[in-house]
Amino acid sequence: MLFLTVLATGIALVPLASILVYVGIKGLPALNWEFFTQLPKAVGEPGGGLANAILGTIILVLLAAGIALPLGILTGIYLAEFGKDRLAPTVRFLCDVLTGVPSIIVGIVVYSTVVLTMKRFSALAGGIALAIIMLPLVARSTEEMLRLVPHSLREASLALGATQGRTIRSVVLRSALGGIVTGAMLATARVAGETAPLLFTALNSRYWPTGLDERIASLPVYIFTYSTTPYEDLHRLAWGAALVLVSMVLGTSIAARLAAKKVNGGK
Amino acid sequence: MQLNSRDKGWCKALVGAAIVALALSLAGCGSSKQEGKATPDQAGQQASVSLNGAGASFPYPLYSKWIQEYKKLNPQVTIDYQSIGSSGGINNILQETVDFGASDAPMKDEQLAKAPKAIIHLPTVAGAVVITYNLEGIKSGLKLTPEVIADIFLGNIKKWNDTRITSLNPDLQLPDKEIVVAHRSDGSGTTNIFTDYLSKVSPTWKEKVGSGTSVQWPVGIGAKGNEGVAGTVKQTPGAIGYVELAYAVQNNLPYALIKNKAGKFVEPTLDTTTAAAAGAAANMPEDMRVSITDPQGDDAYPIAGYTYILVYKDQKDKLKGEALAKFLWWAIHDGQKYAKDLLYAPLPENVVKMAEAKIKQMNYQGTPFIK
Repeated sequence: MLFLTVLATGIALVPLASILVYVGIKGLPALNWEFFTQLPKAVGEPGGGLANAILGTIILVLLAAGIALPLGILTGIYLAEFGKDRLAPTVRFLCDVLTGVPSIIVGIVVYSTVVLTMKRFSALAGGIALAIIMLPLVARSTEEMLRLVPHSLREASLALGATQGRTIRSVVLRSALGGIVTGAMLATARVAGETAPLLFTALNSRYWPTGLDERIASLPVYIFTYSTTPYEDLHRLAWGAALVLVSMVLGTSIAARLAAKKVNGGK
Repeated sequence: MQLNSRDKGWCKALVGAAIVALALSLAGCGSSKQEGKATPDQAGQQASVSLNGAGASFPYPLYSKWIQEYKKLNPQVTIDYQSIGSSGGINNILQETVDFGASDAPMKDEQLAKAPKAIIHLPTVAGAVVITYNLEGIKSGLKLTPEVIADIFLGNIKKWNDTRITSLNPDLQLPDKEIVVAHRSDGSGTTNIFTDYLSKVSPTWKEKVGSGTSVQWPVGIGAKGNEGVAGTVKQTPGAIGYVELAYAVQNNLPYALIKNKAGKFVEPTLDTTTAAAAGAAANMPEDMRVSITDPQGDDAYPIAGYTYILVYKDQKDKLKGEALAKFLWWAIHDGQKYAKDLLYAPLPENVVKMAEAKIKQMNYQGTPFIK
């Protein structure tokens, strides 16, 4: 039995390891100072980088987090602490459904509501699309984390005369903070690599980001566009972009683990 | 579980980090915006304009080159073009989410009927579609006739050593192997050109399959994009597929010589593509929506097509409209010299003249931008 489980775990790790190794081998040669500081150049000209796409991805993810984190965490608190009525199971169910909606559908919905209304592709639309994908993840992980807080803590706080609001703020949230932060960062890492919803919303750009109502560059869309051109130079940049993106996602995930450890360290 | 001051510190640090990050990103936005606006002063007192386009992936390398070169000449004009596919280009110009669209296939009448205002088709360059294959020991030079190509893609010719292929290629040792057809699974201007050609040369194809950016293929494996078809062909011995010329040349794919209307076997090159564009130019319709497959001319390669930029005749914004008209004017004249390096066939002289007339129709409230 032990042998079987170890074997299965080993096999499960093979794709992860091979992705990291392969992307590393293909992507490393593309990375240099120019890659991180320059704008893309036209086809057939040597050099050029994807600095705008790196910055663009960061802005898009921050924008999405700015929208989804407050909403998602508050929804999670509602579900865990207040939702004793019939509304809560419905919200929970809708969250689960939303988690399962393919991201390309989210892209099309935001395209037809935001992009067609504004009559332009924009960073804002991209941020909204990513936020919609993040929202249910954050809400559900927050709820799960709050549920892990022992009931006796709440009771103790209430018994000391604290209001429910005070209890949630000072006791429940404080205890679950590590888990909530981890959930939020994992959700952030999850949307950083989304391509499909951005194709319909933020699109892409050759230039530095100039405003939330303008198109914005992003690493996933550059990978998609460049890998489908006939040119070796662009393929190289696409591999570089893939490595940077994977590192960013991996970095966020690791930071999330460390954050969880650190917060729970006082236990 | 205990609460201690570390938790509180963490919380604050996190909020602080988030605020700093947000502020930095906004500052980044702000400063680059100013950079963008600083340029017009150097280029006289003209206001800065930004134009957004999207569409066909086929001309993406050329358009990105044009945009970069044009920016050097006119620093106040910032143009962005994104490759999202021909259908995307048509949809977005119809929805008015872009200043110009781009498509390899001219818009159909029913699509044009959906447009809120008149749309101009402006050919920018021509490209060719090549037939590539995977046969051990055989490089470029397999000879094919239109009838044989149609029968292969219809599934009527099943083996490489079929007498109809071997009789065309007496010098080649063709194997006793199944022919595996690879085609595009996504909507594509390349497919439109190829199926348009097959519909012209084969009545059976026209009746059974027809033409369009995506069709019901009678046989074969679907793959996404030129890279998908090329990959499938490379990995499958006995495979045959079609990709755009630039893709085949950049990736050293073998390609077939095809018998044209004049009865000559023609290699796909820039010159033979230009010859095809010229051969079809004589009967170019007024609206420039034309198919140039199977053209006249001894040197004309028969599977070729124009790629188009789509713009509204009546522009809503004077500044943008003027910048767009001037850019397009530059593209069909000075811009043409960049075409060959990137393996596109420049426009024939008489098509440039017709395109000029089209650009002159672009106007703001009745006043044309270029007289």
